[in-house]
Amino acid sequence: MHSSDNGFSKEHFRLLIDGKLPWEEVKKAIRLSPKDADRFKKYLEILQEKVPWEDPILLRISDHLYIVAKPGKGRIVKCDCGQEFGDYRINWKLGCRVYVRRTDEEIAEVITIPEARHNMDLVEMREFYCPGCYALLGVEVVPPGYPPIFEMLPDLDTFYREWLGNPLPDEDPAWFQDRTLERPAEWIKEA
Amino acid sequence: MGICHQGRTLKELVEAKEKSFQQTGYAYGLERLGLVEEDPAKFMRFQMRLVASCINARESAKLISANPMSMIQGELLFMLANAEGDVISASYGLAGHIQCMPFIIRKIAELGFEEDPGIREGDIFSCNDPMYGPPHNADCYTFLPVFHKGELVSWTVGLNHIVDVGGIQPGGLGVISPNVFTDGFTYPPTKTGADFKQHKWWELHWKRRTRTEMFNILDDKMRVAGVVSLHDRIQDIIDEFGIEYYRQALREIIERERRVLVERIRGQAVPGKYRYLQLSAVNYKGTLGRLWPASNRNWVIHKTGELHIRADGTLLTDLEGLTSEADFHANAYEPAVRMLTSLGMWPMFAYTETINSSLLYMTDWNIPPGSMFNPQNPFAGTVMGLGVIAGYIYLFHNCLSLAYFSRGFLEETFPADGTTIGYGAAGTLEDGFQWAGGDMSLITCQSEGATPFHDGFDAAVCSPNPASDIGETEAVEFLLPTQVNIGKKLIPDFCGHGKFRGGLGIGMLQLVNKPGKSLILNAFAATDGMGACALGRSGGYPGTNDIVVFAHGTNIREILEKGGTYPRDFVEMNQWIREGRLRAETVESFKGPTPSIPCRDGDLFATAAGSRGGWGDVLERDYDLIEKDIRYGWITRKTAETVYGAKIDEDGRVQREASDRLRQEMRQRRKERSVDAKEWWVRERQRVLEQDWHEDIRNLYADCMKYGKFREQFTGMWQLPEDIRIEEAT
Repeated sequence: MHSSDNGFSKEHFRLLIDGKLPWEEVKKAIRLSPKDADRFKKYLEILQEKVPWEDPILLRISDHLYIVAKPGKGRIVKCDCGQEFGDYRINWKLGCRVYVRRTDEEIAEVITIPEARHNMDLVEMREFYCPGCYALLGVEVVPPGYPPIFEMLPDLDTFYREWLGNPLPDEDPAWFQDRTLERPAEWIKEA
Repeated sequence: MGICHQGRTLKELVEAKEKSFQQTGYAYGLERLGLVEEDPAKFMRFQMRLVASCINARESAKLISANPMSMIQGELLFMLANAEGDVISASYGLAGHIQCMPFIIRKIAELGFEEDPGIREGDIFSCNDPMYGPPHNADCYTFLPVFHKGELVSWTVGLNHIVDVGGIQPGGLGVISPNVFTDGFTYPPTKTGADFKQHKWWELHWKRRTRTEMFNILDDKMRVAGVVSLHDRIQDIIDEFGIEYYRQALREIIERERRVLVERIRGQAVPGKYRYLQLSAVNYKGTLGRLWPASNRNWVIHKTGELHIRADGTLLTDLEGLTSEADFHANAYEPAVRMLTSLGMWPMFAYTETINSSLLYMTDWNIPPGSMFNPQNPFAGTVMGLGVIAGYIYLFHNCLSLAYFSRGFLEETFPADGTTIGYGAAGTLEDGFQWAGGDMSLITCQSEGATPFHDGFDAAVCSPNPASDIGETEAVEFLLPTQVNIGKKLIPDFCGHGKFRGGLGIGMLQLVNKPGKSLILNAFAATDGMGACALGRSGGYPGTNDIVVFAHGTNIREILEKGGTYPRDFVEMNQWIREGRLRAETVESFKGPTPSIPCRDGDLFATAAGSRGGWGDVLERDYDLIEKDIRYGWITRKTAETVYGAKIDEDGRVQREASDRLRQEMRQRRKERSVDAKEWWVRERQRVLEQDWHEDIRNLYADCMKYGKFREQFTGMWQLPEDIRIEEAT
């Protein structure tokens, strides 16, 4: 296999995404200068082929999660299994199943060296699962009561218009607003 | 009449630099890079001459030092700055210090050094006081002005990390110091020499104010030799290229590379806001007692951060919510923050032909006044603030890795967690000889965090120092005569797990050998039982904790004399103790820094660090990778089964069908014991309302709630009254 003229072939890219590209080839990709300008386009094409649904991917935000353009629903977070988490401006962790490890015994399942475990008087380990496929999507080790961490709020309109030169059809400054707190505000009303 | 170009004063020059950038957005107002455009080959040749000169200064000067951290482990740097203080070129080594020099020059300009004590050809200046630009007092700066026909045109700068700073604890990174008066030998900018030589009185300070006079005096001579030699080479370069070219080219280097950095961010990342958190602890309670009553408590340190990748490709890092300044060793100032965090930026995007001050022109910070990295108390203790800042190196590793992952540049991801360990030592040998020292070997060989496409490499990187090396065990033993290394190895299972796992952490086991009349050891570390990072990556588990174990009064000498096997790291040592194969009168275990621990002959001292996080769901780890781990002994069978859901047969092979079933059962268990986020939120909210927390956590929240951003997130998430108060525990 050889790198394409524009720097990094789609074949190599697929292998990299799957964790199968030999390290020597990865090093060539690291050394590419300039990088292939169409990387993001290739990325979306490969990812779209891999997922079992049709909604256009706007951005990949973790191994399993994507921001997609959902007709009639705007821009939402979606798992590759098809599970939908709603508006991407709300921390997707609030759409997960949650398991909390609070004791030494509970954390021992994932840290098998006793001395290396956390001080469980001070922190807990939260695991966030996809309600559809139960993939482990996120892990936090934080004090009890710590607000779930919203790891990434992309500025999609700036990205597509100014950086890619390909503006999205539904541009609106409101797309770059953290709306996470709307979810607990709804929950308290329901409670 | 000033000493700078066209008779301007140094202060005027610095102010003009800052004003022109503010007004134009270009460094030095350079919209056009004339020299680059006219003859790029000449420009490159010029720049490479500067780089070579800095490296040459380092490589020749370090031979004067006797300090293994300078000689072998790369804890030094030589730099060329322009008259305004911007670093144009540097050797390899402690690259973060490039960030500090502009602050130092601005300070001496503001202090009026040009008038008093004067800045003349051959003058030598020294500084290690964090209030004036250096990050902490273990990093000692020596700098020399370069004049051309009476005009100040540059500074040559040398620095290194010294062995002992004369603080309350031995070594260079003490973890107990309530204020600047216990930090050790700290000197503001001082003219310490003239005619290219240090004054004789300067040596007396090293002799009287630090424990390791010999190392520190030789280090000082090393720095002077380096800056003088670099000074002479710069004079040659000015003669060759001409002063007009030299003056202009230094500025164009900064502006050209500022543009490179901005374009790299725009080309590889995704704009937006990225969140990060690392927690650590300061444990003074019961250690300092009534001598420092305000310090006789513990703190959980809240290192929160939000990285804004802005539309124009520049970065803003917002630290609002960071723990407030306090009577501990962990305070620091903006130059220290910029210095250490740059170590996460150089590898992630800020590498150019030669790293330099261009980074300052595209990075902004919000560090709230009164927080521990913007202390308002001028006597705040700072000796180990740098160690606490280190957690923010990884903000850049992790947030930018996520940005690159989202953009498709997976090969550029380089996640990492805060983990490191070292120690200081001081003692009196049997013949009355007093000595002190320290060892930073485990800082120099950290493992890589997992990436989206492979396991982290083991013992492969040194986050604080791009040019570091673990060094030679024999050299360290020669200088630390009581510490005999009987084990230095990777530790199985000591990593954050994931679809791809973090590189394994590394451990040392040392035998305390004939310490004579007294010996104390004090370790510094990054984690404190809070883990290496609060966030896993894409479902991977974050790195775990650094480990320090003292086993006092052991029978290890009998075991060694018999021959055969013996423990080599903390896991094996503790196992031998549990099984009765190794006797120990007492064992002291820490998951982070330690107070000063007295040790005797035959004690064992185990340290381990470098456990970094995984990427992705453990139940998706490829069976072939698990078999490889089993074959090499990197992962135990127990971990393969309990963490990864892989059943291993007698031959070390994964039983695939049985493992598939086990993984299905583990997914089912996830389903059974998890709850919907809403249900979790209802329960958690109740706990928050009851403020049912450990006192250290209560104190953390009481402090963080002073900051509006955290307060809004906290009260909004739990739907609390806006005026809610969280009182400190008494």
